[in-house]
Amino acid sequence: MLAIGPWQFLSCFGQQFQPEKDVGKDLDLSFLPEETSGNDASNANVTQDSGVFDACRQEESAETDPKKVAMPGASTFCPMTPVIPVAESSGIIPMLQNIVSTVNLACPLDLKSIALQARNAEYNPKRFDAVIMRILEPRTTALIFSSGKMVCTGAKSEELCHLATRKFARVVQKLGFPAKFLDFKIHNMVATCDVCFPIRLEGLLLDHQQFSSYVPELFPGLIYRMVKPRIVFLIFVSGKVVLTGVKERREIYDAFENIYPILKGFRKQ
Amino acid sequence: VCSTSHGDVLALPKVQCPNHPDAMLVEDYRAGDMICPECGLVVGDRVIDVGSEWRTFTNEKATQDPSRVGDAQNPLLNGGDLSTMISKGTGAASFDEFGNSKYQNRRTMSSSDRAMLNAFKEITTMADRINLPRNIIDRTNNLFKQVYEQKSLKGRANDAIASACLYIACRQEGVPRTFKEICAVSRISKKEIGRCFKLILKALETSVDLITTGDFMSRFCSNLGLPKQVQMAATYIARKAVELDLVPGRSPISVAAAAIYMASQASAEKKTQKEIGDIAGVADVTIRQSYRLIYPRAADLFPPDFKFDTPVDKLPQL
Repeated sequence: MLAIGPWQFLSCFGQQFQPEKDVGKDLDLSFLPEETSGNDASNANVTQDSGVFDACRQEESAETDPKKVAMPGASTFCPMTPVIPVAESSGIIPMLQNIVSTVNLACPLDLKSIALQARNAEYNPKRFDAVIMRILEPRTTALIFSSGKMVCTGAKSEELCHLATRKFARVVQKLGFPAKFLDFKIHNMVATCDVCFPIRLEGLLLDHQQFSSYVPELFPGLIYRMVKPRIVFLIFVSGKVVLTGVKERREIYDAFENIYPILKGFRKQ
Repeated sequence: VCSTSHGDVLALPKVQCPNHPDAMLVEDYRAGDMICPECGLVVGDRVIDVGSEWRTFTNEKATQDPSRVGDAQNPLLNGGDLSTMISKGTGAASFDEFGNSKYQNRRTMSSSDRAMLNAFKEITTMADRINLPRNIIDRTNNLFKQVYEQKSLKGRANDAIASACLYIACRQEGVPRTFKEICAVSRISKKEIGRCFKLILKALETSVDLITTGDFMSRFCSNLGLPKQVQMAATYIARKAVELDLVPGRSPISVAAAAIYMASQASAEKKTQKEIGDIAGVADVTIRQSYRLIYPRAADLFPPDFKFDTPVDKLPQL
């Protein structure tokens, strides 16, 4: 027991050690050992993000564990790191809803034979010149073009998107085409979240006229185009916000942290 | 009657009195002379009369004004085109043997602005259909000219841009028209007009005020034939409903329609949701939705001096 050093001590608790250090992504987590931070990242990707942020990813032991563990641990490991109170960061994490990606299978495809042989494939050349294929797990749709390029939509996380694209490529491979997996790239991510208070869109429009567009006759939400990071928000009166137009998950979180104080300023009383 | 010539001395050939070269010559256009004021010598004669050729009296042949030498065009909009065109001939000599007119090719003047002239004509036609005054048409023309010269929306149909300019002009003049009203007089879809509207605002770097419920009250109520009392009540109801935030997120048109419904149902002139929906361009289910939101506070929404034909508790509940 005494021989256990600080890092082993931490790794014993693994995921459960989620002290207040883990409040916001902008905190420096480099002091944590590789496994813990690695665990966090994969956790975030594979499991669903909750709309509201818990200090600890586990459900029941949320309040008690950090207190139990942090007492002896925190003071030893990083007394210098300032603890940013939860109130400053919004505490809300946007949930990814859709990811659009493309990949190049690098071989010309015979769409007719794919449509005939594969199940869950539709091909209507008069309407659109690509095969529309769907798989159930993860629930995604792919547009497969005769040049060998493919677009995959509907995945809810980057890992799932990658997995789904690989599954589609495997289907094409099994049908007899020498499919490869080149240049996988995510082009767009869509996320939603709820700030949990109603918003005065007219006020927001007046103050941020050069970024906002609000035409209630055309669309009930305000379209806010943030310049840095380049992202588009759809902001609704109910407080629900849609973020889209980015290629990185990080940008979504940063952008939401940027807009949250602005939205708080236009809260309806 | 003489007039002093205060033209620029550089342009005109230097006509001067031989005895008094510094003297400013006085022009007597009656006789066509230029006279030296010092000694009275007539220096130049046969000065061309620049007055009008014909005298016009009021009410005399109002169609043809012979003192005008050209069309009363607005040179600011057309880029100051001064070219001459050959018009259709009058008289027998202008027709050749087959009955076709000689010089039939009315050469296109200002081909570069042909599209713009067409658009102006289209704007005037559209505005005529909904009886818009001249100032809105002029503003629309100006907006169109600005957009056209910028060329940032060159790929879009000119009619779409014209319709969007009309919408913006109505907004800027303080008498907004709904997109559906502009759609009714234009061949372009509401979607396309909306797209062009946003693009034009970005291109011209202007913005427009948000629409309010009161902007449409007088028009809708007059079209429905509602008396002034009902119109004022509806305006009050809609304003109160927005102030009390009973209808968050609803389009102002829908709220206005619901307010008109409530006011008309409380008065002697009852109108159905379908009639109001037809006039306002709102679906009657939409009116029903907004009405359901304002119905619970109906008693607070009416103006204090309103004379009820149907009391508040007897208002229809949908």
